[in-house]
Amino acid sequence: MKKLLIILLLLATTASAHAAGLADRVREHTLKNGMKLLLVERHTSPTVAAWIRFKVGAVDERSDERGIAHLLEHMLFKGTKTLGTTDYAAEKLLLDKIEVVAQRLLLEKARREKGDPELIKQLESELAALEKEAGKYVVKEEFAQLYNRNGGANYNAYTSSDGTTYLISLPSNKLELWAAIESDRMQNAVLREFYTERAVVMEERRRSYEAEPEGKLWETFLASSFNAHPMGQPVIGWMSDIANLTRTKAEGFLKRYYAPNNAIIAIVGDIDPEKAIALVERYFGQIPPGTPVPPVAVEEPPQQGEKRIEVIGDAGAELMIGYHKPTIPHPDELVFDVINMILSDGRTSRLHKKLVVEKQLTTGIGAFSAPGHRYPNLFIISATPRAPHTVAEVESALYEEIERLKNEPVTERELQQIMNNLEFEESRQMLSIGGLARNLTEYEATTGSWRYLIEHRRDIAKVTPEDVQRVAKKYLTRENRIVGFITKQEVTSK
Amino acid sequence: MNRRYGLALLLIVTFLAGCASTSQNVDPRNLTYPQLKFAIPKSERVTLENGIVLYLLEDHELPLVSLTAYLKTGTVYDPPQMTGLAGITGALIRSGGTLSLTPDALDAELEFMASAIESGISEENGSVSLSTLTKNLDRTLTLFGEVMLSPGFDQGRLDLMKKNTVESLRRQNDDPKGIAGREFRKALYEDHPLGRVATIASINRITRDDISAFYRNAMKPGGMIIAASGDFDSKALVEKLNRLFGKWQPAATVAPPVAQPDITPVKRVLQVSKKVSQSVIRMGHLGLEKNNPDIYSVRVMDYILGGGFTSRLTQEIRSNQGLAYHAGSRFDIGRRFPGVFTAETETKSASTAKAITLIKDIIAGMTTAPVTQEELQQARESIINSFIFGFTRADSIVNQQARIEFFDYPQGYLENYRDNIARVTADDILRVAKKYLHPEAMTIMVVGDETKFDQPLSVFGEVKEITLENGQ
Repeated sequence: MKKLLIILLLLATTASAHAAGLADRVREHTLKNGMKLLLVERHTSPTVAAWIRFKVGAVDERSDERGIAHLLEHMLFKGTKTLGTTDYAAEKLLLDKIEVVAQRLLLEKARREKGDPELIKQLESELAALEKEAGKYVVKEEFAQLYNRNGGANYNAYTSSDGTTYLISLPSNKLELWAAIESDRMQNAVLREFYTERAVVMEERRRSYEAEPEGKLWETFLASSFNAHPMGQPVIGWMSDIANLTRTKAEGFLKRYYAPNNAIIAIVGDIDPEKAIALVERYFGQIPPGTPVPPVAVEEPPQQGEKRIEVIGDAGAELMIGYHKPTIPHPDELVFDVINMILSDGRTSRLHKKLVVEKQLTTGIGAFSAPGHRYPNLFIISATPRAPHTVAEVESALYEEIERLKNEPVTERELQQIMNNLEFEESRQMLSIGGLARNLTEYEATTGSWRYLIEHRRDIAKVTPEDVQRVAKKYLTRENRIVGFITKQEVTSK
Repeated sequence: MNRRYGLALLLIVTFLAGCASTSQNVDPRNLTYPQLKFAIPKSERVTLENGIVLYLLEDHELPLVSLTAYLKTGTVYDPPQMTGLAGITGALIRSGGTLSLTPDALDAELEFMASAIESGISEENGSVSLSTLTKNLDRTLTLFGEVMLSPGFDQGRLDLMKKNTVESLRRQNDDPKGIAGREFRKALYEDHPLGRVATIASINRITRDDISAFYRNAMKPGGMIIAASGDFDSKALVEKLNRLFGKWQPAATVAPPVAQPDITPVKRVLQVSKKVSQSVIRMGHLGLEKNNPDIYSVRVMDYILGGGFTSRLTQEIRSNQGLAYHAGSRFDIGRRFPGVFTAETETKSASTAKAITLIKDIIAGMTTAPVTQEELQQARESIINSFIFGFTRADSIVNQQARIEFFDYPQGYLENYRDNIARVTADDILRVAKKYLHPEAMTIMVVGDETKFDQPLSVFGEVKEITLENGQ
């Protein structure tokens, strides 16, 4: 895990002079079909960022669908009934045949040792032949071609526990291209080349988790943290989950949730908001609403004692300590923001000063909330021990700092430093149109309103030293924690 | 919900490594667009009394200022026995405090006012940068001057940095992609400073005197360029910078010349044994540097071969065959030395040789037949139309222009860039492909579990096994 800058949890703020700035500059508009539109006019350069967030992520998958939100995200790059194909009617006949063969193959493979190897072989070659045949109708990557040719930048998408986001930046005269492609994608997506793309995702999984000991620790740690709640399941899915996903399942998920009432759009940059609203109305206004994403009803039962997770890997020791905690809009969430900054923000943070500089037990430390924010999550501290120091030494030094949070009030200077940094952060986050579009969609989706951005600093200012002590005592306990670590396995490489 | 840091890469799973008409019957292929109004924004260029060049661009939208000083130095000047000296010096300029402020005092003052000063030295330059709220600009600039001209090089922070560097060397073989990247580069820049890698011994040899001496060579007004953008008054800022730096005239030092690397492509097959389910593959050779007039044709060729989602490598290896999540190639255009051409992918052990063969064939294909008009047009339009994304923020504009002068790019490089791309023809691409791609003389680097490969790597040539040493 690259411990540096990050994107997802990025957040923060805005208040005061510039918060007022953002508050005045965001234009909200809701279409009749429920689609939410957030616009910010900004003419620093003739460019525009357009982000679409669907409020459906890995946490909304059933157990036989794990990985589907992410695989679907990949599949939505494959085109529509008119883009990405030379003849959809002819192609569709083949796609349907492929699905029949693929499902028979899955069933036969699911019988494991009782499966018929000859039949499997035959089905596999049938599938390959059909896919090749269907491939003749494919116009490769037509979305990407259109966007790139028109100067598109940062064309990508990502999936998290909380949601799925499709993003692009374009020269501002090309906004209509975005509206034309994305409204088509929302209504007419065709999940062609599904089984090849499923193999791509399996390679993605090997690349990010299986060949990376820290990735392995991360998913094991998360999965072990939640007994019941799907917050703990890996966004990409376990390998056998991915291997058993089908186009039929992906289409079900797509039809259920990828609809305007589950979508939030942010358009930031060199736009005329009135014209942009009219454009979005024209392209998206007639799309019928779909099923609202139902809340996840499962509740994680309170943890009954410390959990310890060891991952043996061909890598140096790493340590992660997580504590269950509530999420937005619970008021303790803000106190955790304060705790996070006091413990890990910068060279003057308590953990850096104590563990990296003074005791020299670790090369680096970090703290963050994860894996998502729609449901109760974890406050996580991570540390990289420096040899010869052990995980155990680092752990006890960390617990001393946790106890200190409970036993002595944080200082006024520490709190003031946080306020000063939030003031800086609320301007800094405005620098990039993509960053602002990201924050607007992310906060609108997870907190219910982008206004969280402008209220955060004001609310943080109300957190008192007593709050920090109370919250530390309540949540940062032995019974409530999960400790995960990598133990190095000496592999003899020849 | 709190901000920044974290395991973003693990929290989110992205599409790209880093990848019926509408209800109104609009075909996105046939849309027409209004003209885009864009001219490359200009920054102001000023020279201080002692020759330091300033690039300034005021932008008052947000109450922020950022500034970067570019230093004529680089890791290429590391003494061979002390590889890592430049990197540690670069970081210690800021983290080692100043003559008047201990590291703790400097950290405390800067972070309290949400200002940042950071320093570092990379291959071909050094930099010291600051960012601050406008209201703290004056004090932050004063501290910036102290960090630049009177760094403290605190012995305790030096020791700490050495220990942490040693720890990272112990861990340098934990990540298969890290191993492949490092060993590939070491092989290509054999015997050249760009191919050297620090060891525990080279780090442990470094003393505070070595740091001071390296710093004195790096920090000098001659050739220094400072780029500033944001919410300031240019006249006042120039006055302040003149007060801080204008009279500064240290004894001139001359950096020893660094030889050019040997760019003769060599066929090598290198293997690192690691028990992982996916092989990391890096293939390529040295390429070209910025003064080569062929860089524009190479840029377009590179886009078609391996640049992004519509490239031949990604199409075939990822999209058609499902062999990898990431596949692509890149010519790094060097500034003073030839850069590296790399083609890369990661694939499951059982398709390792298949992927290598595909990459090799696709590269060879560039050298035997011209690209199609459609590919050419797609590449040129994409590069030309996305050019404006280099100029979306005041800080990127001013730094872009400062780097053009600092690295001595040809006159008019930015202004003529799009025209130079637009002129590239399919014949040009075939010519530069034959000249700069060497599919039969590539270094092939593979990190993986060779017992599970589809074919042994010996099918590609004589295999040299690399034994990993954790920083020894």
